Amino acid sequence: MTAAKLVLNEIKGYHRFLKFMMVLVGLGALASLVRFIFGLGVTTNLNDTYPWGLWISFDVVTAVPLAAGAFTIGIVAHIFHIKKLEPLVRPAIVTGFLGYSLVCVGLLLDLGQPQRGINVLRYWNIHSPMFEVSMCVMAYTTVLTLEFLHPVAEKFGWHLPLRLLRTLELPFAILAAMISTLHQSTLGTFFLIAVDKLHALWYNPLLPLQFWLSAIFTGLSIVIFEASLVHKYMGQPDESDLLATLTRIIPWVMALYLGVKAYALAFLTHGPLFDRPVLLALFLVEICAGVLIPFGMFITKKIKSDKRMQLRAASLVIFGLVLNRFNVSMFGMEQPGNLIYAPSLIESLVTIGIIAAHILFFVLIAKYFPIFEHHPETVDYSIPDRMHRIDDGRKRVGGELEA
Amino acid sequence: MSSEKIDFTKTKTFLIDTTKCTGCRGCQVACKQWNQLQGEQTHFFSGEGYQNPPAMSEYTFTRIKFKDYQKHGQNEFAFYKEMCMHCNEPACASVCPVGAFQKTAEGPVIYDSKRCIGCRFCMMACPFGVPKYEWSKAFPLVRKCTGCYSRIKEGMKPACATACPTAIAYGPRDEMLKEAEKRLKAKPERYYPAIYGKNEAGGTSVLYLTHQPLDELGFKPVTQRPLPSYTWQALRFVPGIFLTVGGTLSAVSWFQQRKDRIRAEEEGRTASGHHHGKDEKKENSL
Amino acid sequence: MTNHWIDLKNSDCIFIIGCNPAENHPISFKWIEQAVDNGGKLIVVDPRYTRSASKSDIYAQLRPGTDIAFLGGMINYALQHDLIHREYVRDYTNAAFIVNEKFDFKDGMFCSFDDKEKSYDLKSWAYANDAAGNPRRDESLKDPRCVYQLLKKHYSRYDVDTVCQITGTPKDAYLKVVQAFCATGRADKAGTILYAMGITQSTHGTQNVRAVAMLQMLLGNIGIAGGGVNALRGESNVQGSTDYGLLFHLLPGYLKSPEFDNVDLKAYNEKWTPKTKDKKSANWWGNTPKYITSLLKSWYGENATKENDFCYSYLPKRSGNYGYSKIIEKMKGGGIEGLVCMGMNPAMGGPDSNTAREALGKLKWLVTVDLWETETSIFWKRPGVNPKEIQTEVFMLPAASSVEKEGSISNSGRWAQWRYKAVEPVGEAKSDMWIIDQFYKRINALYKKEKGAFPEPITKMAWGYGNEEPEPTLVAKEINGYFLKDTTIKDKDKTLEFKAGDPVPMFKFLADDGSTSSGCWIYTGSFTKDGNQMARRDQSDPTGLGLFPKWAWAWPVNRRIIYNRASVDKEGAPFNAKRPVIAWNALEKKWQGDVPDGPWPPMNDAKEGKYPFIMLPEGHGRLYALDLKDGPFPEHYEPMESPTRNLLSNVQNNPAVAVPKNVSRDLDKYPFIGTTYRMTEHWQTGSMTRSLPWLVELVPDMFVEISETLAKKKGIAKGDKVRVHTERGSIEAVALVTARLKPLSVAGKQVEQIGMPWHFGYSGLAKGDSANLLTPTVGCANTGIPEFKAFLCDIEKRRA
Ligand SMILES: Nc1nc2c(c(=O)[nH]1)N[C@H]1C(S)=C(S)[C@@H](COP(=O)(O)OP(=O)(O)OC[C@H]3O[C@@H](n4cnc5c(=O)[nH]c(N)nc54)[C@H](O)[C@@H]3O)O[C@H]1N2
Ligand SMILES: Nc1nc2c(c(=O)[nH]1)N[C@H]1C(S)=C(S)[C@@H](COP(=O)(O)OP(=O)(O)OC[C@H]3O[C@@H](n4cnc5c(=O)[nH]c(N)nc54)[C@H](O)[C@@H]3O)O[C@H]1N2
Ligand code: SF4
Ligand code: SF4
Ligand code: SF4
Ligand code: SF4
Ligand code: SF4
Ligand SMILES: [Mo]
Repeated sequence: MTAAKLVLNEIKGYHRFLKFMMVLVGLGALASLVRFIFGLGVTTNLNDTYPWGLWISFDVVTAVPLAAGAFTIGIVAHIFHIKKLEPLVRPAIVTGFLGYSLVCVGLLLDLGQPQRGINVLRYWNIHSPMFEVSMCVMAYTTVLTLEFLHPVAEKFGWHLPLRLLRTLELPFAILAAMISTLHQSTLGTFFLIAVDKLHALWYNPLLPLQFWLSAIFTGLSIVIFEASLVHKYMGQPDESDLLATLTRIIPWVMALYLGVKAYALAFLTHGPLFDRPVLLALFLVEICAGVLIPFGMFITKKIKSDKRMQLRAASLVIFGLVLNRFNVSMFGMEQPGNLIYAPSLIESLVTIGIIAAHILFFVLIAKYFPIFEHHPETVDYSIPDRMHRIDDGRKRVGGELEA
Repeated sequence: MSSEKIDFTKTKTFLIDTTKCTGCRGCQVACKQWNQLQGEQTHFFSGEGYQNPPAMSEYTFTRIKFKDYQKHGQNEFAFYKEMCMHCNEPACASVCPVGAFQKTAEGPVIYDSKRCIGCRFCMMACPFGVPKYEWSKAFPLVRKCTGCYSRIKEGMKPACATACPTAIAYGPRDEMLKEAEKRLKAKPERYYPAIYGKNEAGGTSVLYLTHQPLDELGFKPVTQRPLPSYTWQALRFVPGIFLTVGGTLSAVSWFQQRKDRIRAEEEGRTASGHHHGKDEKKENSL
Repeated sequence: MTNHWIDLKNSDCIFIIGCNPAENHPISFKWIEQAVDNGGKLIVVDPRYTRSASKSDIYAQLRPGTDIAFLGGMINYALQHDLIHREYVRDYTNAAFIVNEKFDFKDGMFCSFDDKEKSYDLKSWAYANDAAGNPRRDESLKDPRCVYQLLKKHYSRYDVDTVCQITGTPKDAYLKVVQAFCATGRADKAGTILYAMGITQSTHGTQNVRAVAMLQMLLGNIGIAGGGVNALRGESNVQGSTDYGLLFHLLPGYLKSPEFDNVDLKAYNEKWTPKTKDKKSANWWGNTPKYITSLLKSWYGENATKENDFCYSYLPKRSGNYGYSKIIEKMKGGGIEGLVCMGMNPAMGGPDSNTAREALGKLKWLVTVDLWETETSIFWKRPGVNPKEIQTEVFMLPAASSVEKEGSISNSGRWAQWRYKAVEPVGEAKSDMWIIDQFYKRINALYKKEKGAFPEPITKMAWGYGNEEPEPTLVAKEINGYFLKDTTIKDKDKTLEFKAGDPVPMFKFLADDGSTSSGCWIYTGSFTKDGNQMARRDQSDPTGLGLFPKWAWAWPVNRRIIYNRASVDKEGAPFNAKRPVIAWNALEKKWQGDVPDGPWPPMNDAKEGKYPFIMLPEGHGRLYALDLKDGPFPEHYEPMESPTRNLLSNVQNNPAVAVPKNVSRDLDKYPFIGTTYRMTEHWQTGSMTRSLPWLVELVPDMFVEISETLAKKKGIAKGDKVRVHTERGSIEAVALVTARLKPLSVAGKQVEQIGMPWHFGYSGLAKGDSANLLTPTVGCANTGIPEFKAFLCDIEKRRA
């Protein structure tokens, strides 16, 4: 049987859902092709009034915080050294890796001159939030790729790189946290320039801080969300007792977030808050359904044990974040009188394709790489210890010989 | 963004006195001619009066807006020229990841198409909605009023200012401001008491005088602060935050690791001690 | 213009009536704004609130075709409130002149009207002469038969209320206008009146202009800086075209073209050389024989001799009217074989275009000399006709545009400015001069070969402007004129020597004995031994009035403000010391400032003093005209098609104008006033602009402007397609509903108007229906200029 045949058969074996995802990805790919042939003007509903649309709002501004699981869990597991959470790290890293790779895809599609993307490295403009974010995203994607190499190396049993990567795990986690903090918040900085455009419900100088905080608790929620689903649909072991730990961390961050937001709204807004009913409604939904209610759920005792509640709360948080990012980057920008932007078919297909790709690749990677298997040795990876243990071992052997 | 070292009293500035504008649109056509911009397909009129085309675009860098309305029984028929304001501290320049926009010492805010990656952040950022995109193209660039930089460098006036019979004065910003103030003082009944562009967006190289209140003519009320400062107030913390986060987290992890290591070592020691004991036993038995 | 563009800046009050300079003469506002900056007032009187109006201090709306009522009311107000410049009126106008007993005016009619001929006997309006044969005068202006008293009486009927009833002008606005402008009657104030087609395109257009001139004389505003009667001319060189006699009744330099009974030069001179017995009157037209002779010499050169009457017999003699409308009429009747359209688009420009377009189809051949394919050159394939049915053979000659050729352009201020070729003509385009030169050369060759009836007028011409490409400067020199033999001239104290072939420096040296030539006497001095004066570009302005005497050249004799003798008192001291145009220096015995209207000392100088209005035999400005077909005083008549009866008399229309067939006063069929006009974005019939994408973008299609009230009445919304009908035809357009057009209340009832540009047609990039499908073929009693500004029409929303 030829390789192709092998692959085909393999695919034949996949679940309907996966095949469906593949179709969506295919469509997305096709749509992006169309975009490059006919140009943004024809294929999207973007125009001079709405230069940014679905692709920026979702593929970038929203996708980035959704991929924040990697660094948040990294912090918790590696830096705060809560080892028992380590099983959650790899899936998160994979999601992060996919997330960021797809963010890059999204960005490239949205650029008018993608072939010049590299210019960001050639001409620096440190005053540009976009510059900052592009740098971070590039850097972080590399980090994630390296982290992702981990399971890969494991799979193929490349021992040297594996050791190297293991030793780098912690530094990476720290680096990831540093970079993420910057660009998660800077995504908020983007919209500080829109001082006369973004509605006061969202515009305030603390937007970056809010973006960062929401990214953190959403990142953790994503981990919960994912783990639950994976457990549910991919028959992976139930991690809900691990997740319980997260549910204990999340509300703290949320509380902080709410505090900051309340303060900003009370003291730092520059315009009328209640002049646009629709926006007000959106805002309330975002806050209540997306923050207050899940917050309420997270602070209950019940959530520690109740899987379904965990999932629900996490889902709400995610919904809240998505809505928030859209409110900031799209709805809150709509000027009264202007015709309202709605994404075109092509735009939608591309975005759907990207989401599908995310799910698809995640499942496939999980299928072929050790993402969920717990590592053979549950030891800490810090170098000094490792040395210690090794020569300690020798002694032991020596002893044997003497014997 | 090289605007820091620029002397904003000397930057060349348009003083557009709408009370002198006859709406002849010579400027609009002169601009198209100098920049060789294609005429747009229009139908009837796109706004009040004879206004056309519907908006500034990749083909239209400047446009006369018409206002045709009644105010306590009196006709108001007003015209004003939209164009790039050539801000002292341009938002477009500050947000551009590749620094494609640049405020020149002469005054115009110019655009280096070779750098542009087409992210359209400039369009988001511009408080006056000036930069336009080549939506017609597969690989679009941004287009906007160039301030006729190529003419300025040759000591000429911009094409529009040259064509204008009445309304556009062009010169160093301080002189234009002085002139504007002079006119306001000389004919208070003729002018609405404001110079649009004096402080808007932190000051621009285009100044307007009007008879009608600014909002009636549709001038955008924009912040008086330079827009870059809004993002900079956050961005300036970047290095700090970067290091702080790095530092703290390293510290934390080191601390945590240490805790755990100590625990681990203790466990380790007891384990090996026991072992030795056994050995000794063995030795003793020999 | 009596003055010139830049002089507008010197005005204390700029009165715009019947023109829209912001839109049609944009650059004028450069100077108007300066006047305003210096505290001058800007008045705009127009049926529509225009872009000019938007800049005005005072705006007053009036009904199309009612300017005489409006201006008559101002004259009346000035007289009643004694706001006139008395000294000026008494000494410089014919106010003091006594009119003969026969003259009188009753209920809209002047005396001795021949109803059959539809004409007056002008002689019955003559002055009453004294024994010496000079008009009798009464300096006290008390004599009931003096012009001043007759004038006062005539306009006493034009009281403010009546006037506003007629014009539909709100009374307060009217009074504001009157008071503001009449305030310039003071010696130290200057008021200028700008007018154009809103004034002239009327069945009483000439009388409209007269009314303007009379008001200016009463206020002492003619001859002074910042004053004057200023017609904003149209086509960029239309001033030149009239200077050079491109009108059927004129020869170059405003010499009359011979009439059938001017059998020889003597008879011609008899007829057209005015005489006076008054030594103080310069009576400049007394020089007519010198000018016509010099003209004939330049046309027929050596062939023109005293013996053969300088070839006078070669000139065509006219009998009756050869105006545009008459030509079309004749063409329609098949009376014309061929037509050469050089820079004209008659399928569009004239009234009742349907008729004109049909008429073109009756020609054997048609030559269009143009930059573009025009409605005229493609009339045979216009919408709705079958080309097969049109036999006319059409030749299109591509013409070089104004920037593709060298030559002079005369602007409204009489400045002849020399221009150079900027670029080579596109394609096969040739300059008009080349085309005319070839016309002559080839026709002449044919005549020489085939003889034919009466070839001499062509074959005997002195024609030599170069072989291939004619040389514009040669033409310019010929226009200036040469001495044809060595000449010695005693000029005051000094004697001047000229060689044969020298250019004539001033027209006062032109002679009637064939010793000089001049192609257009008013341009003598434009190309002297010092070179081409029109090409001068010196920007010095010694007087500070913006005369720029060394920039280009203005006819006559580089005088920038004509009638400037009226700007000084009888001793030669300027009425307004602030802005002296000229001033008499008694010590040096010479004038300072602008070139004076003749070299003579001030009027009071016993021996040589002269009156200021040197072109008139009586030397005084005419408040009372002697030679207009429709009356010595402008009298208000309604336009041919009018929504109301004449409120001032029982004479509805100008009696000197015959009522044509295709007009209708049926207010049930046509309840609204239609008026046509221009806009900045397009030029004329549009052939110049409707093919330029940059301009088409600005005004893409034919539209009509209507008021909000009419829109409501007719259920028309902005952007709707509408149809407009008149007795002549019907057009489609897009509706522009605007508050800038308001219904007028005329004699107590509301009258709506429908405004429309006339720029659209069926050729070019942007096409649309032509306004001239609607307009009536009826014109001014004196000039025949069609009544484009006031006709009756109806409008309805076009159901899709
Ligand atoms: N852009 C542009 N400029 C032009 C031209 C062009 O086609 N386009 N044409 C050139 C030519 S050839 C000429 S002759 C000039 C003409 O220049 P204008 O005379 O200014 O041209 P119009 O717009 O025909 O008429 C002027 C105004 O008269 C008003 N009007 C109408 N009826 C009456 C009336 O009864 N009384 C009074 N007082 N006003 C009335 C109209 O509303 C209009 O605003 O413009 C010249 N300049
Ligand atoms: N309803 C209505 N009708 C009007 C008027 C109005 O106000 N209302 N206005 C009237 C007035 S004032 C005028 S002046 C007439 C004008 O009527 P026209 O003179 O018939 O109209 P234009 O469009 O000026 O025609 C000029 C032509 O000359 C061509 N041309 C331009 N430059 C050159 C050149 O250098 N050489 C040659 N050979 N051709 C050249 C142009 O392309 C154009 O086709 O219209 C009159 N008609
Ligand atoms: S107006 Fe807009 S485009 Fe122009 S300089 Fe200012 S920010 Fe940049
Ligand atoms: S579109 Fe081009 S110019 Fe505008 S911000 Fe992006 S890179 Fe800079
Ligand atoms: S400055 Fe130049 S580019 Fe800008 S509007 Fe004027 S003519 Fe156009
Ligand atoms: S050229 Fe001058 S007067 Fe004409 S529209 Fe432009 S700004 Fe106004
Ligand atoms: S179009 Fe030409 S002639 Fe008319 S105002 Fe402008 S510059 Fe003068
Ligand atoms: Mo004209």
